[in-house]
Amino acid sequence: MAELYVKPGNKDRGWNDPPQFSYGLQTQAGGPKRTSLTKRVAAPQDGSPRVPISETSPGAPPVGPPPLSSKASRPPPVGSSPACSVEPTNFPVIECETLLEDVLKPLEEALDDCRGHTKQVCDDISRRLALLQEQWAGGKLSTPVKKRMALLVQELSSHRWDAADDIHRSLMVDHVTEVSQWMVGVKRLIAEKRSLSSEETSEEKSTATAEEHQTVPGIHRLHNPVGSPDSPQTIS
Amino acid sequence: MATYLEFIQQNEERDGVRFSWNVWPSSRLEATRMVVPLACLLTPLRERPDLPPVQYEPVLCSRPTCKAILNPLCQVDYRAKLWACNFCFQRNQFPPAYTGISEVNQPAELMPQFSTIEYVIQRGPQSPLIFLYVVDTCLEEDDLQALKESLQMSLSLLPPDALVGLITFGRMVQVHELSCEGISKSFVFRGTKDLTAKQIQDMLGLTTPAMPMQQARPQEHPFVSSRFLQPIQKIDMNLTDLLGELQRDPWPVTQGKRPLRSTGVALSIAVGLLEGTFPNTGARIMLFTGGPPTQGPGMVVGDELKVPIRSWHDIEKDNARFMKKATKHYEMLANRAATNGHCIDIYACALDQTGLLEMKCCANLTGGHMVMGDSFNTSLFKQTFQRIFSKDFNGNFRMAFGATLEVKTSRELKIAGAVGPCVSLNVKGPCVSENELGVGGTSQWKICGLDPTSTLGIYFEVVNQHNAPIPQGGRGAIQFVTQYQHSSTQRRIRVTTVARNWADAQSHLRHIEAAFDQEAAAVLMARLGVFRAESEEGPDVLRWLDRQLIRLCQKFGQYNKEDPTSFRLSDSFSLYPQFMFHLRRSPFLQVFNNSPDESSYYRHHFARQDLTQSLIMIQPILYSYSFHGPPEPVLLDSSSILADRILLMDTFFQIVIYLGETIAQWRKAGYQDMPEYENFKHLLQAPLDDAQEILQARFPMPRYINTEHGGSQARFLLSKVNPSQTHNNLYTWGQILL
Repeated sequence: MAELYVKPGNKDRGWNDPPQFSYGLQTQAGGPKRTSLTKRVAAPQDGSPRVPISETSPGAPPVGPPPLSSKASRPPPVGSSPACSVEPTNFPVIECETLLEDVLKPLEEALDDCRGHTKQVCDDISRRLALLQEQWAGGKLSTPVKKRMALLVQELSSHRWDAADDIHRSLMVDHVTEVSQWMVGVKRLIAEKRSLSSEETSEEKSTATAEEHQTVPGIHRLHNPVGSPDSPQTIS
Repeated sequence: MATYLEFIQQNEERDGVRFSWNVWPSSRLEATRMVVPLACLLTPLRERPDLPPVQYEPVLCSRPTCKAILNPLCQVDYRAKLWACNFCFQRNQFPPAYTGISEVNQPAELMPQFSTIEYVIQRGPQSPLIFLYVVDTCLEEDDLQALKESLQMSLSLLPPDALVGLITFGRMVQVHELSCEGISKSFVFRGTKDLTAKQIQDMLGLTTPAMPMQQARPQEHPFVSSRFLQPIQKIDMNLTDLLGELQRDPWPVTQGKRPLRSTGVALSIAVGLLEGTFPNTGARIMLFTGGPPTQGPGMVVGDELKVPIRSWHDIEKDNARFMKKATKHYEMLANRAATNGHCIDIYACALDQTGLLEMKCCANLTGGHMVMGDSFNTSLFKQTFQRIFSKDFNGNFRMAFGATLEVKTSRELKIAGAVGPCVSLNVKGPCVSENELGVGGTSQWKICGLDPTSTLGIYFEVVNQHNAPIPQGGRGAIQFVTQYQHSSTQRRIRVTTVARNWADAQSHLRHIEAAFDQEAAAVLMARLGVFRAESEEGPDVLRWLDRQLIRLCQKFGQYNKEDPTSFRLSDSFSLYPQFMFHLRRSPFLQVFNNSPDESSYYRHHFARQDLTQSLIMIQPILYSYSFHGPPEPVLLDSSSILADRILLMDTFFQIVIYLGETIAQWRKAGYQDMPEYENFKHLLQAPLDDAQEILQARFPMPRYINTEHGGSQARFLLSKVNPSQTHNNLYTWGQILL
């Protein structure tokens, strides 16, 4: 599962740089929009500028404290607050250390399965796995990266290709500096394992794709093979 | 429909269309007296999660000059299996496959709720998407590293069968041959000499057709690829390495000089390469540049730093040496790319100008993106770039390619033109008016790159003569047909057919008035204004805009002469004058305080966004947060700036959070950290949460400003509000107010 966090933008390069959202936050399927801030107020037709209600003249002594927190004066929140805010948050420390062997071993096993393919590709992948090992052992990878790699490897071993792919993407987006050199090898490994398993179970795969096009309730969809006469969509 | 507001909203949700007038004046004379032209904003590929595409081809009217598509407005004789075209009244026979239809067994395209419907075209090869990266290497080390990483990241976001290519440039232009063998090769071109398409193709060896590629999956159609554009799944590892090894341009830059940057030639080679290898298929040329072009055709400024790049002042004084020639060069490239269905994106990240003024046609004519940032090492660039590859609810990219839009009208209407990210296809016909507004003289346009928010403004002319009777049936109709390449590589056709009632303006003015859509009208007039501003003098455009507002108020206002306080406008016009006020102060029509590049950037986004976002650009949204109740919209006026309020302003390009004086003092005192003042903590958090929601979704990513009373960045808010209270009318000079 990708992480959900917000980091501040690069204040050195852009003083008004917006905050950076993690891959997980960006791909969240919108969800119900809490409030769309799109309303406007018409100007008063008589043309007089509105006098502000509460006015503090400049140079006056500072006002007293804000109203105390009671049920009455709490402003109703605009929908439910999200899990994270625009300001940066801290991460709870992971309990157990992710071990290099737990990650590297399944990857190398996967690579061995794919040895049937072109030598060049497998050499490239193994070169990158070596790089991964080197960086991990050298302490160059951060904890979130290690944690997510462990997850990726689990998904890969369970043949959940899309989930593994998604984790690889989230790592590329969130931690590109750390992972870019070797991640493409892992990506290719997932792709190779996926095509290997699809060759073995090609019938299962074709049924799955047919179900992708979900029907809207009440409307039949007639899939026409190429070349056959058109038939109209009918409502049952 | 209870009110016109509901009617307008429902129609927009279903069809992606908003008209300036929803009841149409029935004669040409009366229509011109309405001041605001009859026009609509069309979002051709508006996201419709509830609309499944149908898997057959549309049924066309058989009259060769018509060819309208079967739609719910057509009269149907189910027994005789005939249908009457509602545009030309031709009677057509249904094709054989429709023999089973009846009143209770209607095909989807005849049902009113399918006024917008999408067809999937089965025939023809499906070509993969193509992405050609054109990368400037005259960047600082940090910037180049950040850009390289973004490009490497993008390889993970692209579909595995997409084709990708790489051209790098600095003083020379290098076209990289992508291969799986160890040695990377490239073709080097001098950056000073422009080449014709044929010369480029000859030099790259593209004149002989490339060998068809061996596909991994045999059931796909074999597709000709080239050595320079290869599928991701084959080339990603090598390209990742290649990108990782990119160095800064090696040519030394002496003190007081700019790097020699051959953007013009690089882009020319990119366009020529795609022309020669993949004409008429969807492709994106993505230009990443960190400074202005300084050599060769398309150069925008010389290499001496002491000669600054042109400002608006220089342009007005006719002191911009390279502007005309450079603009011409990029226009030529843009037109060639548009002809081939290729779109050109520009990602310009630098602290100074990069020549967006001259290069803007590349993005504007082809529907490509324009992103302007300070550095590639900023979150603004990185996340905006990521969002280009965002996916919809079906897991498909939101981008679409190679669209042609055709408009058909019933005979009382003609098409005056369109304003938006398109080029004319020069298709004349009975629907085409001689009076042009925007890109006119045609009923078809090409949009090479578009997404679900791309919106065109389409302008019409009513041609019925005065005192001619209202057409039979009382309604006029318009059909919008958009053919395009979906990101899944399928070809699709989306058809939207709409109708509105005619009314005699003299007897039914109240009805016409009530059906006025002031939001759509404001955006449509604004687009016309911005279109004019490209070729006319600034003050002339403002005078034109003011005159139109005055005429509109004269026509529809109720007032007693000699009594200014008696002036009233009905509800349907209540916001319109405000929109016009803010429009004439906006960066789209006021170039003061903006560089030519910035103005081009703002205008680029304005001319393609949907109605809601366009309105935000014209008149920014201002919401006020306080202890007195839920957040509420407030007037964009200085009177809304109060000490005990937090303001959230959205200008589309910036999100500004401004703390009033008292709020700022409380925050400084740390009340938000005390448990008994938890509601204050919530108050501070509320606008941050709302801002986050906007920041998470918008393309391009806005800048984010968190400021308070007396802060220097409060100027972003202060410059936008109507200054109804100033130091002139409220306090004596010298006292600090705002």
